[in-house]
Amino acid sequence: MNFLIENWAFVCKGLWMTLRLALVVLLFTTLISIVLGVLATLKNRLLQWTIHGYVELFRSIPLIVNVFFIFFGAPMLGLDLSPFVAVTTGLTLWGSANGIEIVRGGLESVARHQWKSAWALGLRPWQIYLYVIAPQSMRAILPAYTGLLTMLVQATSLGALVGVGEFLKVGQIIIERDTVMTGVSPAFTVYGLVLLVYFVICSLLSWLSRYLERRLGRPVTRATPEEVSTCKHPKSAGA
Amino acid sequence: MDFDFNYLLAQWPALLDGVQMTLQVSVLAIGCSLLVGVLGGAARVMKVPVLAQVVALYVELIRNTPILVQLFFIFYGLPAIGMGLSLFWSGVLCLSLWAGAYQIENVRGGLATVEQGMREASVALSLKPAHYFCLVALPIAFRTSLPAMLNTAISLLKNSSYLQAIGLAELTFVAVDRIATDFRAIEMFSAICVIYLALVGILALLTGRLSARLQRPFQH
Repeated sequence: MNFLIENWAFVCKGLWMTLRLALVVLLFTTLISIVLGVLATLKNRLLQWTIHGYVELFRSIPLIVNVFFIFFGAPMLGLDLSPFVAVTTGLTLWGSANGIEIVRGGLESVARHQWKSAWALGLRPWQIYLYVIAPQSMRAILPAYTGLLTMLVQATSLGALVGVGEFLKVGQIIIERDTVMTGVSPAFTVYGLVLLVYFVICSLLSWLSRYLERRLGRPVTRATPEEVSTCKHPKSAGA
Repeated sequence: MDFDFNYLLAQWPALLDGVQMTLQVSVLAIGCSLLVGVLGGAARVMKVPVLAQVVALYVELIRNTPILVQLFFIFYGLPAIGMGLSLFWSGVLCLSLWAGAYQIENVRGGLATVEQGMREASVALSLKPAHYFCLVALPIAFRTSLPAMLNTAISLLKNSSYLQAIGLAELTFVAVDRIATDFRAIEMFSAICVIYLALVGILALLTGRLSARLQRPFQH
């Protein structure tokens, strides 16, 4: 346990880097997912096929190949990417491919009559999206998206393979250092602890995802005729 | 930047070796993970005391930790306490444990769709619980959860590329190894992307064919 106390600041730095990776990837993934997810619901064959191709491509290629392609391939094209940028780009491409499907599925899960009613009320398309469809699609999107966030946090560990000093890399360095100094490899303990920390973080996110699913999955309660006739305030919606 | 096809042709035998290793590890691990899935799923659905809780914890543990850390734990961590495995079997173990957790959930999901009436009918026919499970529930569950199971198998195939990190000479390792000497990153990665897409495509195609075949008696 000694090495943990000695390396406390180092460990925190690694966790901070993991968090930064996850947040940057989350930001760009969300932006791309929303834009392309909405575009994928438009009735445009060319657009649909292009986005579908993008999604299938990045979901079919192993994530590690994707990251390595960018990390090793970019210099050949004259781009000088830092490991951090290479990893975030790779993870964003992969994450957004999953995110687009979640957003598209969520938007399409909203009943057709909502569109038609909004249209009949004279709302403009962007108003329909913003005020009618988006809020209702959240009940399908949020749980799945939190699940994606769990996968993103796990995927940031790939940074260790291209030299980003995130949590797993910090663990590796501590093991190497300790092995050199004491002659005994603390790999079992260190990797065990790394597993444990990831487990705690991701379990919290998984729990949040399940909570959102339960919470948002409740049927929307409507005012019953009795409630209306006795002028009681209708029960608020489940969300 | 010119794309050199002749280089790829020259490297073709090495890539094929990589594909062979990828397939070997994946096929073995897919088999093991299915076994883990069926046994674990059975333990959870039958609510075997203690075992069901252990399986639940195992599933949570695998699903909430990065596969890369699991791999390092198995390959570098276990030898430290005298339980080291060879490179190849570390890879197979890691992939089997990872996919096994997902297969347990798939099997459990499938078994949940088997109606209670089936169980009652089996009791009426005086089938033993084990017979009920193997002969009645499992085949029905298998049909419903097959798409999910094969998706997990596809993910396993893709995740076999993580074994590159411990130095198993599978497809990604071969590519990275060659790039270190020849600096032909674009060619190599394009090639292995196409190979992975083809492998995933073939598996997905088989999935579609198999589930269509299994659904056939139920389409009217």
